[in-house]
This record gives sequence, C-alpha cells and structure tokens, in this order.
Amino acid sequence: MTLNRRTILKAGAAAAALPLLGSRAFAQGEPLKVGFIYVGTINDNGYNYAHNQGRIYLQEQLGDAVETTYVENVPEGPDCERVLRELAQQGNKLIFATSFGFGDSVIKVAQQFPDVKFEHATGYMKADNVGLYNARFYEGRAVCGTIAGHLSKTGKLAYIGSFPIPEVVMGINALALSARKVNPNATVKPVYISTWNDPAKEADAARALIDQGVDVIAQHTDGPAALQVAQERGIVGGFGQGADMSAFAPETQLTSIIDHWGPHYLASAKAVIDGTWVAGDTWEGLKEDVVQIGPYGPKVTEEVKAAAEAVRLGQIDGSFHIFTGPIKDNTGAERVAAGVVMTDAELLSMDWYVEGVEQPA
Amino acid sequence: MPFRLEKRPEPSRLMQYLTPAAAVALTMVVGAIIFSLIGYDGMGAVREIFLTPLTNAYKWQDLGVKAAPLIIIGVGLSIAYRANVWNIGAEGQYVVGGLAGTWVALATYGMSGPWILPLMVLAGVVGGMLYAAIPALLRTRLNVNEILTSLMLTYASVQLIYYLIRAPWKDPMGMGFPQTRMFAEAARLPTIIPGTIVHLGVPIALLVALVAWFIMSRSVFGYQMRVVGTAPHAARYGGFSENRTIWLAMLVSGGLAGLAGVLEVAGPFQRMVPGFPTNYGFTAIIVAFLGRLNPLGVVFAGIVMAITFVGGEVAQTTIGLPNAATGIFQAMVLFFLLGGDLLVRYRLRRVASTPATGAA
Amino acid sequence: MEIIIPILVTLVFAATPILLAALGELVVEKAGVLNLGVEGMMLVGAIAGFAGQFYTGNPYFALLCGAVAGAAVSLIFGFLTLSLSANQTATGLALTIFGTGFSALAGAPFSARPIQLMGPLFPPELATHPLWRGVFGYSAPVYFSFFMVFAIWYFLQKTRAGLILRAVGENDLSAHSIGYSVRGVRYLAVLFGGAMAGIAGACFPLLLTPQWAERMTAGRGWIAVALVVFASWRPLRLLAGAYLFGLVMTMELYAKAGGGPLSVIPSELWAALPYLATIVVLVLISIRRDASTNAPACLGKPFLPSN
Repeated sequence: MTLNRRTILKAGAAAAALPLLGSRAFAQGEPLKVGFIYVGTINDNGYNYAHNQGRIYLQEQLGDAVETTYVENVPEGPDCERVLRELAQQGNKLIFATSFGFGDSVIKVAQQFPDVKFEHATGYMKADNVGLYNARFYEGRAVCGTIAGHLSKTGKLAYIGSFPIPEVVMGINALALSARKVNPNATVKPVYISTWNDPAKEADAARALIDQGVDVIAQHTDGPAALQVAQERGIVGGFGQGADMSAFAPETQLTSIIDHWGPHYLASAKAVIDGTWVAGDTWEGLKEDVVQIGPYGPKVTEEVKAAAEAVRLGQIDGSFHIFTGPIKDNTGAERVAAGVVMTDAELLSMDWYVEGVEQPA
Repeated sequence: MPFRLEKRPEPSRLMQYLTPAAAVALTMVVGAIIFSLIGYDGMGAVREIFLTPLTNAYKWQDLGVKAAPLIIIGVGLSIAYRANVWNIGAEGQYVVGGLAGTWVALATYGMSGPWILPLMVLAGVVGGMLYAAIPALLRTRLNVNEILTSLMLTYASVQLIYYLIRAPWKDPMGMGFPQTRMFAEAARLPTIIPGTIVHLGVPIALLVALVAWFIMSRSVFGYQMRVVGTAPHAARYGGFSENRTIWLAMLVSGGLAGLAGVLEVAGPFQRMVPGFPTNYGFTAIIVAFLGRLNPLGVVFAGIVMAITFVGGEVAQTTIGLPNAATGIFQAMVLFFLLGGDLLVRYRLRRVASTPATGAA
Repeated sequence: MEIIIPILVTLVFAATPILLAALGELVVEKAGVLNLGVEGMMLVGAIAGFAGQFYTGNPYFALLCGAVAGAAVSLIFGFLTLSLSANQTATGLALTIFGTGFSALAGAPFSARPIQLMGPLFPPELATHPLWRGVFGYSAPVYFSFFMVFAIWYFLQKTRAGLILRAVGENDLSAHSIGYSVRGVRYLAVLFGGAMAGIAGACFPLLLTPQWAERMTAGRGWIAVALVVFASWRPLRLLAGAYLFGLVMTMELYAKAGGGPLSVIPSELWAALPYLATIVVLVLISIRRDASTNAPACLGKPFLPSN
C-alpha cells in the first residue's frame, strides 16, 4: 500500500513535467514492476511468443522505468491463481494474464490485491482493478480473405481452429465474407481439432484438407505446422497467425496477422505510472497498431496487394467494416440487414456461420 | 569391484528414512552444479525451488493446497502398492471423481442446503471407486494386468472431460468456451482459514493419512494388505483371498483418488475446465514411493513435491529459470530416490573382509 | 476413390513414429521390463533429431542423433531399474518427466527455426502415379519401420538370441540359473528400446512438421505403450495395430475435412478409441487363454536373484 501511494505521488509530480520526462522521473525512483503469465511456452512461434514480444517491446520503450517478469506454461486453474499471487506479492503492480482460461483466477486474486492492476486478455469478467483487452484479429482475417478470394484457384478455403469459441467463429466468418466479396463462389471449411498445440495433428489436418481440394488454409492454433504443410504441398497459400511465419513457409505464406500487443502494454504501463489507469475494456485492431499485417508473400501480385491494402486501410480509417450487412447465415437466413454494422457485443458472442461456411460437425 | 551387495535380512529402517532426505539433498547439490554449468544461476535455482517456499510463510497456504490432493491420492496408492496391486490409473480415477462431483453440482444448481457438498463428495468417492473397479474386475476375473488397463482408462477419462464440457455440460454464459458454469455457493468447498486459500481439503488430507496409517499398522486389514504384498504364499495359507485384496486395494486407491478429484473441483477450481487433469494422479505415484509407501511418509513426500512445484514458479519470476527446469529437478529427486531404494534392501560389503566387519 | 491413396500416405506417416516406438517397447517388454518412459525418450529423440538436421542438414545423421539420444536417456532407466532394482513403473514415469523438461530446456534456442523435411527415399519419378505414390512415396524411416517389424519378428522367433531374450522375460530366475546374464540382456533391450523411441521422436521434426515445439509428441508415446499391449506383444500384429491406430488418428481429420457420416463422431471419441480398443483386446486375449501366455510373465517385476 505504501509503495502504491508513493508511486502515485511521484507520478503526480512527473505529470507536471513533459510526458516524456514522466517515465524518466519515475525511473529515478522505483521501476514499475509488470508481470506477465502465458499459458504456453514463449517459444511457440505464435500466440505466446507474440505476447512475450509485447513484453519485450514494453521493456525497451520504457527502459529502467519498468521491470518486467513472466511465467510461462501456466496451467489454467488453481496453479494460475498461485502464480498470480506470487507475482502480486513480489511487488508487480500491473499484471497481464494473457489467456482466456485465467479468468476465474484473475478475479479471485484481484480481490485479494486491490492495489494491483490486472488485465485479462480475451476474457469477459471485469472488476475495479481488472481490465480486459483484446485485439480485433478479424480485421486481419478480412485482409487474408481478400487475398484468398483473389488467389485461390479451387475457391475452397479452410480454417483450422481449436474450439468453436466466438473468437474463432468470428475469424472464420471474416475470412468467408471477405473472400466472397472477391469470389462469390468461395467456400470455407472449418476443422476443429480440439487442441491448441499438437503440431502433428495440425499438420495432418492440413494434409487432409489439401487432399480434398482446399488450396488456401488459415489456422487459428498456436504454431506454424499447418503453414509448413501448405509450403511442402505447394498449394496456393496460407497465413501466419500471431507472428510472421515466413521463415517456415517463405513461398506459401501470403501474409500474416501479427499480434502486436506492445503498444497496448506500453499504454497500460504508462497509465499506471501516471496514475490514470482505470479498468478498461479495450478491443483494438489495425488502427491502433495492435493487429498488424505482415509482409506480403511473393505470390501476392501487385493487383491483389492493392486490393488487400484497400481493405487494410479502409479498416484503419473506419470506412470499411467486414461485418456490415446484408449478411446471411449458412442456412440462407438473413442475420444482419443491409447497411447495419454488427455491434461488438454481437461479435463477441457469435455462434453462427455466414453463408459460404460449411457447417462443421 | 571391492564391494558387493548383500541382501539385508530386513529392510533397513534407517535407510528407509535416510534415503529420501539424501535424494533431496543430492538433487540440490547436483542440480546447483549442472544448472551453473549450463549458464543459469544454479545456487539461486536450488534456493528458490527448495528453500523459498519453506522460508516464506506466505507460501505455506500454497504448499498445503498443492500437497493435499497429492497426499490423498498418494495414501491410497501406497496402500495398493503395499499389496502389490499396481494401480497407476489414479489420474483417471481422480478425473472421474471430479466429474461425478461436477455432475451433482450441476444437477443441484439453483438449490441450496448443507447436503449438497457431502453428496458431491460421496459421488466423487463412488465415481473413483467405480472407475477403479474396471481394472479390478478385469484383473480378478480375467487376470488382465491392472497396470495397463488403469493406464488406458486414464487417457479415456481425459477425453470424457473434454466431451462433457464441450457439449452437454457447457456453460451457457461462457461465450462458447469449453467449461461448465461456476458452481453455486452450496457446491463450493469452504476455506477454513479466513484470508487464505486453505480449504477443507487440506485437513481432510491429513485426516486421511492419519486414519490410513492407523489402519495399516494396527488393523487386520492393514496386516492383510502387507502380508499379501510381501508374502503372497503365506497370505494364501493364512486364508487371505488374493482377489479380495485386489478388490480392496483398487477400491481404496480409486476411492481416495476420486475424493481428491471432487475436493479439487469443488475447492480450487469451482467449475470443470479442460485444465482439470493436472497430473496429480501420476505425481502421486511418485509421492507414494517418495513416502516409502507409508501414509505418514506420504504426507512429507506430498509436501516435498508441492515445494518443487511452488518453488519452480518462484524461480521463474525471481531468477528467470525456465519452467522446464522444474521438471528436471523433480526427475532428479526421483532418480536419486529410486536409486537409493537399493540401500534399504541391500547393503554394501567389502568383498575381502568378513561379513561381520565390512558394513559400509 | 482417388482420396484413398492420400489418406494412406498421411496415415502411414502418422503411424510410423508410433510403430517405431512400439517396436522398441515390444522388445523391452519381451525381456520382462516395462519402460513407461517412452514419451520422454521420444521427446529427447525429437530435439536431438531436430538439432542434427538443423546443424548438418543430413536427415540420416539426424535420425542417428535421435537414436543415440534416446538410448542415452534409456540408460538412466536401465541403470536404476536393472543395476539398482528400482521400481520400473515409477522410474519410467520419472523418465518421462525428465525427458519433457530436458527437451524443453535444450530446445529453447531452436524456436522459430525451420528445418528441411526428410525427402522420400525413392526418386520422385517412381511415385508420379498416385497408386505408386502409395508405395514409393515415403521417406526412409517408413521403410525402416517395415523392415524392423520383420527383423524383430525373425529375431524373437527364429534366433537363439531372441529365444534367450524371451526366456529372460518369461522366467528371469531360471534364465539366470542356466547361466544367462539377465541384466545384460535387459540392458541391451532397454538400450534398443531407447534408440527406437529416439528415432520415433526424431520422425516428428523430420517427417511430420519440420520445426521444434515443446511436447510436440503430444502423448503419442503413451499410444505406443498401448499399441504393444493391443498387439499382444506380436510384431506382425503391431504393424497392423499401428496402421489401425494411424487410421483412427487420420480418419477423424479426413472425415471433418470432407464431411460425410463419420464427421459426426465427436473428436474426443476418436482420441479415446485407441485406448478403449486396447482394453478390449486385453480382455479378448485373456478370454482366449491360449493367447494370454504371450504377455511376458516377468513384465514389470524387478530381477532379484538371491545371493
């Protein structure tokens, strides 16, 4: 508690100076300790890797003003609760819990440490000192879908996902909607493999899809396995997820959706240092640079690149929203009227598929 | 070789107590050296993993909560292993116990009353017993190896969780995530020390260990288990049925694993999630051995294992030791302990000297 | 119909690591030793194979790395259970904990580093026709696994050394009293099992997904343990069983990708099938008493000659 009061006093003094000096003034005192917990290893080349890159970004940007710590491979359950308390007790004043399954634990621990700020990624339970943050990955999917619609020869796209949660359903739908704007006959085949990290199973799912005529694969799991199969089989392409995966599929990665959590982590840490942090519910995307589109692959022609860029820039300036009606579901019923944009709440509970998505079993 | 092994007439009591301590000490020394050699702070790793959880009073609640399921399952397994019944499917029985408790919690959702929690516990114990009854039945009726069947059933049980929480038991408000709803207040295990996370399962674990110790050392049942294990032929002459022993061993170990499962889901988890199988059932096998198959030894072994888990996380946050290092430390404790087992049953003797003087 | 060959190719690749690891475990169990550390040895083999391929680009050397690494960690198991008579079940579990931790620690520097997949053994001209692809389209470990099935069958059934190994597994004390070195035979078996598990692990980065990922074997070591029992300790049945398990593992994905009646089976049931089938087989072989003798009588029991 005393530490916290001192922090706020210092931050208040610094706020009178230039914003740039704010962090430096703080650095002369004690650095803000920021903790991160990851559900997997930082070496997964995907989701957890991207969060850790965000942590490194924060550390680089604020230098001595912050001191970051992370714990990897934290199981979702009571073990997570213990790790969170460990971090809080070691003086971390801002803690990021980066996986949905940490939610219960975050809420419990946050009650025990009211002076510690928590932020929970992709969750839905808030509290006075628990904020939520998420990224509009679907905006990236809309760019991917545009490219897929142009380049796919068979018009058969696939999406390898873990579980049918709204996050994944949204991505499938954004891919289908954007691809069908280019090629109205395009279809998307979702395959759920019931795991976040089993590279061999992801790879076999990709093989099964390619063998049945799919020539563009998007995946929503933690690693590059499916993309590598796309490269090996020489199909039209696939997309990196979470991070640029071109090292794994130099010819076949058409582009990648990069989770760029750094700016969000920076903003939150600064807010805590300045004493302006409030439990927010942020859902940022391309505009805020939290979702980035990676470099385009060699197969993406100038013309397709221009179309993709138009979708990307349209989402940045707000002129384009992929979930704008009319949208029919895959039974043919109209779900969103012409001109209407789906609300965030509707998106975050999406459990139906748009036209062109084959109903998964 | 100037030494040779000689079987002791009786297992050495001294070695029985000494070897687990020596295994931990040896792990600390060897671990510090190895991790220093590969570029980590080896001394720091040992300090944070093995000592900090003990010296930091704030960590004691974590040790209690982490050790409780290990102790409960470990006690059951130590009884079974004493009788030479190799139930290695405790993880599966733990899972089914947790699922049975969850079923009661979901079925009584919206109701209240002090009967719900005991009913859940009962369901958990029965669930664990029933799941253990399958290998018991196959072993006694068809002479099928229980190691293999109980192991296979464990993997099947994990899939059962995934199925139930993805489809019929999915939380209607859970945004489509595969998990059940949060249990109602009446279905949650109360904490016994306000302001901590120490729940009712912790004293239950100690009680289970004490009762088991008493039964194993003082009752006919315990005698039967021990005799069947050490001298099956003598047991048969003594009128102890081997099948009866197998059934008892499987039901006791399965029931206790189920108890641990239901306490865990009603206590720390408070809902069924995909992360529920946390390898407690497998870790408890190690705990049973580390505790020398003695219920009181299991209490200490459970705490030692809990220390390495809790300390492993401390080491990650304080000195940046990777998560993988915890596994290596745990494996080292076991390797040294299992290797040291030999000294309980055998002693080293100098070949040249006479048996009376050469004890090492 | 043209989908059958691609399914076959995928399932053969999926089944090969399981088959290789199970062949090793079969020999170990035939010698009377139960090594439950297969998953751990596979992971150590996987990281060693990855590193071998990463540094040399020679997949055969990479497989050798996997074999040597697998054998090396199996030596820990061998020393504890054979020289020090430690409990095999507990030691095997400890070995899996060790292998998981060790591979994760050793593999950390290799993240985000792709390697070359191992190419097919035969020149690609032989596999241009889809049908021939089903015969000539595989890499060396696939043909090696076929070869080993028959080699192990021949060894166990037709050679004197195989007879000794089975004798050691059936009745260690009599084998000992005849003058065979029970420990020596078991050491060799455990080392062989470790090498095979190591090769099996190396197949993950070399054949299936050319990267290193922590715990990338994802429980397939346990399927290999199940497979040995499923095959009731017979090499030829092991071959059939591996392909049946491989079919179960890949059919789920083809069914989901292609639709059709099988796609309604929940993926959890697909995942549980190999284990449930193994229990059924255990029951069946026990009902047919004649076959039950095939389980090595000394399986999992320590060798304790009275001095």
